This record gives sequence, C-alpha cells and structure tokens, in this order.
Amino acid sequence: MTDIDTLQKDLANLPPDHPDRRAAAVPAMLSLQSETGYLDDAAIEKIAEVTGLSSTEIEELATFYSLIYRRPTGRHIVQICDSVCCSMRGADQLLTAAEHYLGVSLGNLASENAPTVLPSICLGLCDKAPAALVDGEAAGPLSRTLLEALLKRLQTEE
Amino acid sequence: MDTILIDGRSIPFEPGENILQAALKADIQIPHFCYHAALGSLGACRLCAVEIKPKDSDKAAHVVMACLEPAQTGLEVSLSAKAAQQVRRHVIELLMVNHPHDCPICDEGGECHLQEMTVACGPSYRRYRGNKRTFPNQDLGPLIHHEMNRCITCYRCTRFYQDYALGNDFGAMRLRNEVYFGRFQDGPLENPFAGNLVEICPTGVFTDAVFRQHFARTWDLKTAPSICPHCSVGCNTLPGARDGTLRRVRNRKHQELNRWFICDRGQYGHQYSEHNTRPLSPRVSGTNTDYRSALAAAAREIQAAAERTGGIGSVREDLEGNVMLRSLLNDLKGIFTAFNDPELETATLTAVSRMQELDNTPHLAALEQTDAALITGDLTFHAPMIDLALRQAWRNGAKLAMLHSSAAQLTQFASTAATIAPRKMHDMLTQLYRQISRQSGANDAVTQTIKTIAATLSQARQPLMAGVVETSTAQDIIALAELAKALESTAQLIYVLPGPNAYGAALLSAAGETVTLLRAAERGEVQTLIVAGSDPLSEPRSGARWRAARQNINTLIVLDCIATATAEAADILIPVAAWPERSGTFVNYEGRAQGFSTVFHRPEYLPSTADIISEISHLLGNPLRDAASMLQDSFPGFQAPAPGTPGAHISAQHLPIQYSELIQTKSHSSNNGWQAALASWLGDDPLAGFSPALTKLAPPNAALINPESAVRASLKNGARVRLWNSVSSVETSIQINPSVANGTVAIQRSILARLGIGHGDSVNLEQLV
Repeated sequence: MTDIDTLQKDLANLPPDHPDRRAAAVPAMLSLQSETGYLDDAAIEKIAEVTGLSSTEIEELATFYSLIYRRPTGRHIVQICDSVCCSMRGADQLLTAAEHYLGVSLGNLASENAPTVLPSICLGLCDKAPAALVDGEAAGPLSRTLLEALLKRLQTEE
Repeated sequence: MDTILIDGRSIPFEPGENILQAALKADIQIPHFCYHAALGSLGACRLCAVEIKPKDSDKAAHVVMACLEPAQTGLEVSLSAKAAQQVRRHVIELLMVNHPHDCPICDEGGECHLQEMTVACGPSYRRYRGNKRTFPNQDLGPLIHHEMNRCITCYRCTRFYQDYALGNDFGAMRLRNEVYFGRFQDGPLENPFAGNLVEICPTGVFTDAVFRQHFARTWDLKTAPSICPHCSVGCNTLPGARDGTLRRVRNRKHQELNRWFICDRGQYGHQYSEHNTRPLSPRVSGTNTDYRSALAAAAREIQAAAERTGGIGSVREDLEGNVMLRSLLNDLKGIFTAFNDPELETATLTAVSRMQELDNTPHLAALEQTDAALITGDLTFHAPMIDLALRQAWRNGAKLAMLHSSAAQLTQFASTAATIAPRKMHDMLTQLYRQISRQSGANDAVTQTIKTIAATLSQARQPLMAGVVETSTAQDIIALAELAKALESTAQLIYVLPGPNAYGAALLSAAGETVTLLRAAERGEVQTLIVAGSDPLSEPRSGARWRAARQNINTLIVLDCIATATAEAADILIPVAAWPERSGTFVNYEGRAQGFSTVFHRPEYLPSTADIISEISHLLGNPLRDAASMLQDSFPGFQAPAPGTPGAHISAQHLPIQYSELIQTKSHSSNNGWQAALASWLGDDPLAGFSPALTKLAPPNAALINPESAVRASLKNGARVRLWNSVSSVETSIQINPSVANGTVAIQRSILARLGIGHGDSVNLEQLV
C-alpha cells in the first residue's frame, strides 16, 4: 500500500491545468495501480480521501475504465477485443479458448505466473481483427493456435 | 400560442419545451422511460421515438426522440407512424432481453412502468433464447430492497440520487451491458430522500423494503388522499391499507409542495400506526375496558374537577381535535394550551405572527427559485422537503449561508457556513442586521463571515430567511424577521414549525397559557388534566417540571395513538385513530389548511380526538357543537378544504406581535460553560420514533463536540463522559464533530429529555475515569 503522502505529492505534481481535484481521480488511480498492480477496496477509499470524492464516485470511475483493475492481475494482461468487427471475426471463440486453456473464467488467475485474460471494448484495431492488447501492445489477427502459443509464452517466460 | 401537430391534433407548447413535454401536458401518452418531469430529458432509453415531418418539405420524414426534439411551430409529429412504432417495439424487445420476467413475484407488478410499456409497445413473445445477464444485489439498508437483474439502464435512479437529491453514496458502476446501479459497498443509503428510488425506478430494481414485509398488490390497496404528519411542511401523501392495516405511504403530487417526491421520514415513518405498543383499547387505572366505561370515567373526573380541569392540545393534533378541546375547556372555564413547553409556545407564536406580518412565506416550488438564503439551524431533519427544495435552489446557482449549532447536512452546499453556539445566535443575527441596515454599530470590526453573508443577501434578487423554531429562541426568530424586513419587500421568510399542525395550534392558542397551566399544575390547582396527542412528560425542556407536577394531578386523561411516556402514565387512556384512520385538517408552515380523509378503518373501534371530546361533552350534559361550526367561530368563513385539493390559506386574525423586550427568557446559570444543542436525525419525531425501519438508522446516542472544545477540555474521541445538572445525569461517549459550535455539546432529544433541558440550556460535562 502506497503511503498517502506519496499520493498527495503526486497530486501536487499534476499539471496545473487540471480543473480541480476531481480531475485527479484517474491519474491518482493509475499511479497507485502502477505500484500495486490493482486497486483493492482500501485503495479506492484512499483515493476518495485524497481527491475529496466519495468512495462510490471513485468506484464509478474505477469500474468504468478498462485499464483500471479492481482484482489482482497476473504479470501479463491480455485484453481481447469483443466489439463488432472482432466479434464477427471470432473473438468470442478466442475468449472461450482462453478460458479453456487457462482453466479459469475471464479475469481470474489460474496461478501466480498465469496471465490475466479480459474482454475489452473496441481497441480500434479492426484491421487486425480479431485483435488484442498484450501488456498494452497491439496484437492480431489472432487465431486459437496463435493465442494459445501467446499464453504459453507469457506463462513460461521469466 | 405556438402549436405542433401530433397525429393531426393541434397541441400548444411553451418556448423551450420538447415534443414529449408538450404531448404529456396535452395528455397524449408518448411511451417513455428515462424522461421525468423533475429530471428532464436524457435520451438513454430510446423509447419515445416519434416520426416528424419537418415544415421544410424537401426534407424527408424521420424518426427522432420526442424528449430531445424541441417543439417548433407547425412541426408535424406522428406517434402512430409505422417507423416510430417499430423503433419502440425493438427498444422494448432489447430492454426485455435481460429482464427476468418475474412479474408474478415482483413487488412492482401492477404498478410497473416497464410492464405497461411492454404491453403497450412491445412484442408479446421473447425471441432471444440465450442466457440472461445476472447481477448480485446489495444490502441497501432497511428502507430499500435491491434487485438489479430487473434494471433497464434508464439512469433515473442516479439522476435523482446524485443530481437532484445531491447524494454521493450511490451511483452507476461498470459499462456496456453490465452497468450496475448501487453503492461502493453494502450499507444503508445515506441520503434522506433515498426512498424516492422506489417511485423513480420505472421497474422493480428498488422496491419498498418495509412494504415488502407485509405486502399487498397495488390493486388490493385501499387509498385516499392524506397529509404527512411528520413535520410542518404538509406534504401530500397517499397511504395504502389492506385488511385493516396500513401497508405503505406514497407521495401524492401537490403542484406547490412536495410535487413528485417525499422524504424518507414521510415514506417510512408510518410504521408508528402498526407498532406493537400502540394503545388500541381504552384503559382506566391500568385495566383495559371499553370506550363507554372509559368515557364515563373521564366525564366523572372532569365534572368533579370542573374549572380545575386543564387541557393540552398538540402541534400534531388536527385543527378539529384542538378546537374541540379548547371549547370544552372554555365551557369548563379551565386552562387550555396547544403546547407543552412555555418557550416552544412563545417561539411558535412569535414565528407565526412574523410570517403573518411579512406575508411572504414561499411554498416549496417557489423556494427553488430563490437566489440567496440565510439558514439558521438544521433544516434537513426538521423539514426535509424544505432542504430538498433548497438543494434545487443551490443547483440553480443560489448562494446558501448557514448558521448552525450542531451538524446540519445542508452545510456541504453552503457558500458561507459558521457554527454558532445556541445562545450566541441572537448576537450574530443582530450584527448581521446592523451590517445590512448600515445602522450605527456596523463597523469594520465584524467578522468576514458577517460581511460575506450581508453582501450575499443584500445583492440577492429575492433573499430567503429560514429558521427552525424548535432550535431558536423568540429573540432569534424576531431578529431573523427584522433581517428580512431590512432586506426590503422581496425578502421571503420561513420558519420551520414544531409539528404538522403547529400553525393551527398557534392560531388557537393564547400567549402564556402553557406556563399558566404548568404553574397551576405545580401548585396542585389542576385536578384533572386532559392531554390530546401530546407528550409533556418527555418534553426536553419542561418534561422534568411536568413529571414533578404529575404528582399533584389527580386524574391524567390521555388521548393518543402512540405509547408515549405520558400515555403510559395516564389514569385514563383513550386510544384515538391515527392520521390515515380519520379525517381532519392540518395547517402547514405557510398557513395553508389541508384536509385529509379516512383511508381505512382498523378492526378496533378508534374514534378521532374531536369525536371523543364531543362524546365527553355530551356526558357532561353540555354538548358541544360539531368541530366544523367550532372552527367557523374561530376562523370566520372557514370551510374545511376537501382532501385531495391544493388546500387554502387559513384566514385568521393576525396573532398579536410580541416584541423582544416583552419576552422573558430564563437566565442561564453559569457553569463550566457547556451549552446543549439538539442533534436531530431522520427518525426524530414523536411518531417516526415508533418506526422500526427508521430507528435502525439512528445515529449513536453520543455527545458531539468540536475539535477545539475537545482540546480545551482534554477529551478524546470515544471518551466516556457524564452530562449532568440538578435534575439528572446521563453517561455517554464523546464524538468529535467539526460541525458543532464551540463550547456546545450536541445531544439527541432523549438525553435532553432525561436532563430536562432544551436547545441552548446549560449542562455540565465531566470525563469519567
């Protein structure tokens, strides 16, 4: 858990054109997440305290943005797009294949080293459909074989 | 006036209105979910699709959302166009994809907007055969039951809760087809208007958790127009009963008062009438008996006492009950008062006389238009709907200035707020008065707070002064009225009075009778005391004196519908009908008389207070005329307003104006400097205190002091302390709260009553080791 002082210092270092403390909510969440990997309930309450918003208002933001995680994540995160183009090109089957391969449902961790697989809203990678973000890097078009190979590599690499 | 054409019918509209608003006003029901008159348009549900044909003939007819399309002269709108019907049908089909179709076991069934719209617009069968999306529900406390699977994502709940009622512990989570309306974690909703989620939700996501415990289908409920008995605002309600029991209370629209909403005390306080301690059988000397024997016994004792009879009416007793009791006492030449505390009587009479004098007390809808307000005391728990109206004024840009002694929720929206110890309030108001009227004595030495408030009020188009009678002295009340006068004729004045009929009680009271009666009782000059709907023995300030005087009273006759301490102590207890079980009239804070009807009858025989007094007068051989004629004697030309109508301003002679010099307040003995302040909460009303759902939400009964006072007295949060005076002593724990004034200890009514002190009285505080 990050010290509240660090967070507040982060807040002080935010660009001056942030209109108010409310605007600091997302950067504060990302800053805390970069240290802890995800935000637990205590983190949400801490951010509420720092930004002066209520914990419900922070939760509204935290659960809206797909790059903010409310549950423990693996060392690697694969976000498979399931919006229209990718869906038409087999994203749903990819998501099922991932669940099958990892042996857990989406968003859950099979083991400490396992990657986290999540569905995602449109990534703007329609030309590579079905596409994914692997630790923030674009990947695609994916097939079941390519995905399984990718997951295997992520699971085993140091 | 400008008109649009809807399916060939010419409909007038006001500039700025959209098609849906114009249509609804003309009673053309365009199907909709997310639009609400109080919340406006959002365009989230897509149900209000209509086809429009622009005036410009080279543009083709197309489908638009009626709630987002401004009405324009000559616009041709079609509700029945095939294209529009098809859109509405698809919208319903999509919304119903995940809906659980659990109408037979859903509490909303029968009054569900989604059910109605589906029948009106949608397909009759499901085509989707896949899995439905499911959600876990949250425990939202004792008032609201949560069933998220039924949600159709219209956002009405968050728009009401966050935007309208300004709550921040409930919101919309997640995204896409997983949008979830709830709290960060399980727990009771904190906003005092949360109960409106039940009505605002077009389907059964939020249902009434109290109604659910003893449920009836809406078509089985007996309803009739009633008036809320829980504060002086007089919100219109629609109680629903079945099989001789009251099941729920809903708001009933009054264009100038509560409109679409009601506070949680109004919606859930009704459980008092079903409480298991409620007296339902007459009791003489502790033995249950029938009405005939009880009334005969009462008449005997009254006859024996003759002019040594006293009568206490009540601020929560209707006009009829109060006027009959007063007439009975007049005939007997005994003493009548409608109040049980001399200071509260003076304060209420002063407040009513000042509102009569200024004649500029706004109703709730007008209150929302105010642009600056000075609020003394806590409105949230003394008149919640006035608070809600001021929240709307704040949303419209009004500047709120608050002076308060203990915690007041509205301070979070105040542009200027200051905590003032109860006995320093008058001084503060006087300084403000001098600053505003630029009288001698106005100088640069006044605090910045005073300067800011004075400037805000002076610059306002229509400033409002709002005070709470229960936590004000008569001097504070006069000072606030003088401020309003100094601000020229546009200034509005509101005093929150101490009961649903406090205004009416004041009109029927002669100044000083309460102290006369109390002193007579203390001297043993009251042989028989009749108490109707009042609880003098639990009164914070004078309860201790009444408890002592009780020893000198031969016969205590109590008429009430709740088991108060006074009712428990009665020699003759005569249960009366609760408000939904009788008809009568309340006069609200504006002086608006509003009638309420009998909604239902319980299996037990329960007459109204007026009926019982009339019976007794017959037994005494000097029958009183009926309450309506009695009221006409007091208020010439008075016609009881019919229930369900907007009510009428009661035409009464103005109460005599008393000036501050004439009002005696008792001198406060010096002690270690603590002043008591009333810490109010949602269930803090004699009736609502019997509602289990509300009492579950009671805050801890602690002694609240501010951090500065805590440091000075070396008290830590949670420290055990003893509050004491010559009457009694109470042990409690300290809670540090920055919203309490310096040198003030904010405590709940029950502790004040045990100590026999009121708001502003002195109290000793010492730490227990």
